[in-house]
Amino acid sequence: MADRLTRCRPVLGTFVEITADCEAAIESAFRTIGRVHALMSAHEPESDLSRINRFAHQRAVDVDPWTASVLERALFWSKQSEGAFDPIRAGKSALERGLFPTHPGQPGPEACHWSWLEITGTSIRLLKPACIDLGGIAKGFAVDRAISTLKASESALGLVNAGGDIAGFGPQPWPIQIVEPESRRAIANVVICNGAVATSAHLPGGRADHLPDIDSRLVSATVCAPSAIDADALTKIVLSGSPFAARCLRLADAQAFVLGANGEIRAIQPERQAA
Amino acid sequence: MGSTGANWFTILPAAVVAVAPATVHATVYMNVEQAQSAMFPNQKLAPRFHQLQPAEIAAIRKASGTAPASRDLRAWKAPDGGWFLLDGVIGKHEFITYAVALTPDGAVRRVEILEYRETYGGEVRNAAWRQQFVGKRFGSPLKLGADIKNISGATLSSRHITDGVRRLLATWQLLLRNG
Repeated sequence: MADRLTRCRPVLGTFVEITADCEAAIESAFRTIGRVHALMSAHEPESDLSRINRFAHQRAVDVDPWTASVLERALFWSKQSEGAFDPIRAGKSALERGLFPTHPGQPGPEACHWSWLEITGTSIRLLKPACIDLGGIAKGFAVDRAISTLKASESALGLVNAGGDIAGFGPQPWPIQIVEPESRRAIANVVICNGAVATSAHLPGGRADHLPDIDSRLVSATVCAPSAIDADALTKIVLSGSPFAARCLRLADAQAFVLGANGEIRAIQPERQAA
Repeated sequence: MGSTGANWFTILPAAVVAVAPATVHATVYMNVEQAQSAMFPNQKLAPRFHQLQPAEIAAIRKASGTAPASRDLRAWKAPDGGWFLLDGVIGKHEFITYAVALTPDGAVRRVEILEYRETYGGEVRNAAWRQQFVGKRFGSPLKLGADIKNISGATLSSRHITDGVRRLLATWQLLLRNG
């Protein structure tokens, strides 16, 4: 049986756990996570994201292909969910609630709609001053990239958990426990083989920064999808109670369930494919 | 649930959930020796333990915004001039032991979580329990890699660690820099 090591570090504003069969693979995967953090953290003034928020309303800002691909996917989910997922609205809200710092030269956000973001290759423009928040999707991306790194390191197995955004691979399925956010009591079990699961929660006091609008009848949303980036973004769409959630789940080949404020767990069915 | 057709998740029976006792969930990732050899490979670290004096604690709090959870500064110096610092922080529901590696000029080289212990209710706030926990750390055999639970749904903020690292940097500046 393959060795199995788990390490944990504070990155991406949360705790990231990485499991693999050797230290070297784990180390490489943490470097990958660190790279995503350096590119997409709103707290680092020189990250790609902060440079966009500071300057992209004046001139095109060239970013790393990783950043561009996350922005592309964020726009995709913004369009498909008709704005239930919206990194510009989320950013404005996060800034207003003091969850983000304002960096030197960063304008106050005027835009509060995803359509003001323009991506041409790796060149990013904001057609109005805006604050982009990738917190609802970048963790998932980091998890996917870390999994790729573990596979490239020839680890026989791998599991990455970034604050509840989880992906794994290996000879045996990974059991995942889904917990109620406040009490942390187990409410459901999920098994992942070669895929991802993510959970987003609505916490009292509005501490869930990336969720500008939330269906108050829901406590948390869990999404299982082939990739963590999609699972991560979809939890926000499902938790908002969006009427487009079912369509979005189908597009990502994903499944979801929600925990209601009444304690009930309910599956959200992906929209059926038209015949 | 059966009528929904979903079978990719298992709902735990509500009754079980409701009566389940408050559990203490602990995950041990590394012991101190493992962290030391991972962060300072092939270097022999020399312990420089120190009991913080009230004036030092006050200075650290002033410089960093937080006071240490323990009076015992658990520091080791590396031959290259770097430092290995062992520390603990208490969150709302958790106690976390972590290690910070500093470069000779006092920059963070790496932060590693050694143990994450989660609990519910008043336990974390119970000082006696906390002391016992802190004391146990040294030399006690740790069961590594056992029973690591993969959990999704709890919102875990690493803010306490960020505060702790800031406090250790202030500690280095005030007490270790010329050590």
